[in-house]
Amino acid sequence: MKHEHWEAVIGLEIHVQLNTRSKLFSSAPNRFGDEPNVNITEVCTGQPGALPVLNEEAIRKAVQFGLAVGSKIAKYSTFDRKSYFYPDSPRNFQITQFENPIIVGGEIIAEVDGVARTFPLSHAHLEDDAGMLKHFSHFAGVDYNRAGVPLIEIVSKPCMHTPREASSYARAVKAIFQYLDASDCNMEEGSLRFDANISVRPKGEKELRNKIEIKNMNSFAFLELAIESEVNRQIELYTMQPHASPGKVIESGTYRWDPEKKRTVLMRKKEKAEDYRYFPEPDLVPILITEAYIEKIKEKLPELPHHRFNRYVKEFGLSEYSASLLTLEKALADYFEECLHSCPHPRALCNWITVEFTGRLKESGHTLLSFGIPPAHIALLVEMIEKGTITGRIAKSVADDMVKMPGKDPAKIVKENPDYQPMGDAHSIEPLVEQVLKENPESIADFKAGRTKAFAFLVGQVMKLTRGKADPTLVNALLHKKLDANS
Amino acid sequence: MTNLDQDTLENLKKLCRIECTPAEQQDLLHSIKRILDYIEQLNEVDTEGVLPCNHVLQMMLKNITRPDEVKECLSREVFLANAPDQIGGMIRVPSILKESP
Amino acid sequence: MKKIFHFTALQLRDHFLKGDLSAEEIVHHYIKRIHAYDPKLGAFLKVFSEKPLEKARELDKRRAAKKPLGRLAGIPIGIKDNIHLKGEITTCASKFLKNYTAPFSSTAVRLLEEEDALFLGKMNLDEFAMGSSNETSAYFPAHNPWDLECSPGGSSGGSASAVAARLLPIALGTDTGGSIRQPAAFCGIVGFKPTYGRVSRYGLIAYGSSLDQIGPLATTTADCALMMEVMGRHCNRDSTSLDLPPESFLDNLATSFKGIKIGIPWQFLETLNPVASKNFSQSVEILKSLGAEIVSCNLDILKYSIAVYYILATAEASTNLARFDGIRYGVRSKKAKTLEEIYDFSREDGFGTEVKKRIMLGTYVLSSGYKDDYYKKAQKVRTLMIEAFENVFETCDLVAMPTCPFPAFKLNSIQDPLEMYLQDIFTIPANLAGLPAISIPSGFDGPKPLSLQIIGPQLHDVNVIRYAHAFEKAAGYSQRIPQAFDEES
Repeated sequence: MKHEHWEAVIGLEIHVQLNTRSKLFSSAPNRFGDEPNVNITEVCTGQPGALPVLNEEAIRKAVQFGLAVGSKIAKYSTFDRKSYFYPDSPRNFQITQFENPIIVGGEIIAEVDGVARTFPLSHAHLEDDAGMLKHFSHFAGVDYNRAGVPLIEIVSKPCMHTPREASSYARAVKAIFQYLDASDCNMEEGSLRFDANISVRPKGEKELRNKIEIKNMNSFAFLELAIESEVNRQIELYTMQPHASPGKVIESGTYRWDPEKKRTVLMRKKEKAEDYRYFPEPDLVPILITEAYIEKIKEKLPELPHHRFNRYVKEFGLSEYSASLLTLEKALADYFEECLHSCPHPRALCNWITVEFTGRLKESGHTLLSFGIPPAHIALLVEMIEKGTITGRIAKSVADDMVKMPGKDPAKIVKENPDYQPMGDAHSIEPLVEQVLKENPESIADFKAGRTKAFAFLVGQVMKLTRGKADPTLVNALLHKKLDANS
Repeated sequence: MTNLDQDTLENLKKLCRIECTPAEQQDLLHSIKRILDYIEQLNEVDTEGVLPCNHVLQMMLKNITRPDEVKECLSREVFLANAPDQIGGMIRVPSILKESP
Repeated sequence: MKKIFHFTALQLRDHFLKGDLSAEEIVHHYIKRIHAYDPKLGAFLKVFSEKPLEKARELDKRRAAKKPLGRLAGIPIGIKDNIHLKGEITTCASKFLKNYTAPFSSTAVRLLEEEDALFLGKMNLDEFAMGSSNETSAYFPAHNPWDLECSPGGSSGGSASAVAARLLPIALGTDTGGSIRQPAAFCGIVGFKPTYGRVSRYGLIAYGSSLDQIGPLATTTADCALMMEVMGRHCNRDSTSLDLPPESFLDNLATSFKGIKIGIPWQFLETLNPVASKNFSQSVEILKSLGAEIVSCNLDILKYSIAVYYILATAEASTNLARFDGIRYGVRSKKAKTLEEIYDFSREDGFGTEVKKRIMLGTYVLSSGYKDDYYKKAQKVRTLMIEAFENVFETCDLVAMPTCPFPAFKLNSIQDPLEMYLQDIFTIPANLAGLPAISIPSGFDGPKPLSLQIIGPQLHDVNVIRYAHAFEKAAGYSQRIPQAFDEES
């Protein structure tokens, strides 16, 4: 960031949809993408006379998350009504946790540009999601399929200072939910959304200045761009009005990120803070959580992202960078471990997964997870290299072919292409070695004179003749034999 | 004495989204003020150290939850049968700005 | 010969089971009475005839075939129109919901239906149950059968009026601040409010969520007992429903108060008018004569009941009624062009003044800057009231008070909202403390009934009804019929 005298202060509120079967207070299905208004009950459409009943699985997933981030699990937590009028709200109040949230404190450990950083949480709580408004030219349609879906809202302390910190934090949160299998974390479908609270202040100033809120971002790229853009905007405004009172320069408001205009757009000013009139939800009883319940969940807690990261570094000897690349997406780490089953060469596998194939797939916009190359194929490729069935060089070409024909077995690819059959028998290589020696008497002389480079040159020439298929070790051995014999 | 004036009433109307005729507004202003004045007497009660009553029955201090199962849904047909305006299976409302509180 | 409408619900059922009366006969009888008398009373918002007749015929067939029959077989029942009966319109006596078809039945109604009750109609009420006189109904007021110029009480005015005039033996009401007991008192019948959570609120259109209960209005305590045995059950669609097994009421009806200590908060009753005061003293003598030990108790804190109630009930109501916005259901204003206008105009047109008043009051007491002074304060005083009752019930088994400070008043005679609210002073405490309470007829002031109220500790519903039964037998005011309605139609 160009502004060395200013510091950005960023807090993130992340809304994560839990992947329960049914909704938070209604037994309608928790599903995305169906026809409008087919996943509804009287509860989540706010019919008069309907009453909420809490889904026990939502509590369990919330507690899992709390344990994963080392927070305090509230033994007594309650729900509150948050009032506001909007058509996507079936009751014109949301049921949320304002006074006594279920998760208090905790921290997120995230890799920011290769360094592990700790970001403290304020709290996390359960609440129900709103329905969806679909905007058309002259009207809007309301679909309540999403209304009532369980959300965990995770509120960080205002502890981030750069867009990269924010996106790393967000990625780490996403990874935790993937590892817990508590959410499908599908950002395109809206099951993971970010609101950012952003203010700036001169470096060294202790108090926080007015912040604005950017709502409902659903991509890491947008998150970074929006924060960057907003921080610059605020700094510019302060710089342009050095004598104005800070409270007047930046006024609280809610913005959204416009990806086309590439800037934040004001949605509404907060002249008066929205009065949500929170009060305890009389239709629900408190959530009472015992030590025994917490212990039970702790015992069954699946491996968390940073534990897996540590395991990859310690047990497999992967570099921290590689380990973090693999573990940030649970599905990728799972893919990697699936490969490991039939190919116990973690460093090589890691390289092929995170470097070789990733590079080849970059243009297509796909990842290994979506491309249709099963783990067994990558494992086989690496096995073939390790066993010496093919050389490293050939393997690269095979990989190119695998990308061209996703799903084709690499063993088959190798079998079908004579250029990929390494020459592993001395019998077929020997004549070529003799030919090279015959054609390069100067190199022989150089070698005998003690220039080792000449040997490498001769090896290279043999490899050229065999179009890279010869086993380099064998070529080496044969050349040495012939050269020694001739001396 | 309660501080309830026209402005406060206007704000209240906005918060709870209710309109009324001028005559009704006068009646409401007068009545609500009267009731609020009456309610002032609660200040006489010493509630130092008293916990607010969030649940009237002690018995209610236990978890009430349901298992995570999908049950019978409200059919869309029945849902829309009561709808004032609908289109394509959705409730129809006038065009709004793309924002939500 | 006793006329059909003289029978209690239990008697009707017995006659039906024995074969003396057919269910169809019973239904015809009451429907005829309804058509003859209800125009004077305005007790019904909707009368059913086809469906109950169909069901009645089916019941007759089952009886003839000696097939099993429900506990309410042959009994016609009315449902206050803020309680859902699936497939029928629930208006809450509001214009807002005049076209709203209930998408599901309330648990209470479902339980009655399973026991073969015959539903004859939806009963009139104060709009959204907000009122004590049935005058705020958006359709028409209900009238008191003892004096047609008088209010039958509210908000369950229609239910009380119909039962008192014998257009039904039983009706469902709801009670948030006295809305079953006060109309029962005004109409000289029995009305019972259960312990909070004893009857499911699922399918009851919420007014004050932490105060509402569904309960029976009938001509005898035994009929109320029967209803409680059917309705007093745990419901897993209501998180505030008590997880307790159903109780036996009918087997426990008492005829004496021997061994029972009754607390009377004399100081709290100081403001009673002379007629009500005299009648109450007479009731106390009856209790004594039945063996009750009468003690004084201190419930002075209850003088703040109305203030606490009008903060908490309206706060809850302001959010409960927010869903009525013209978006998903209800009447949407035709002149509204924008979203804001849909909200503002639909609610302007759809709600009556009393409802608007309470919503605004409730919004005010929750709003930022006022919440601590009003809402939180009221919550704390509520705790004090619960504790006060707990203290009293450590030494007393029951508490007795009048139900109302005065008998039925003339319609349109009370214009001051505060005056209207103040008459709930004796009924509101039981809602604030979640206690079971019953109103039983105890005398007359001219043509107008007077009543005694018995309140029990939380969960002591059986005791309240069983001892009310003893008083009822001894006092002898139960089952009186207003003369104008004591004729075959």
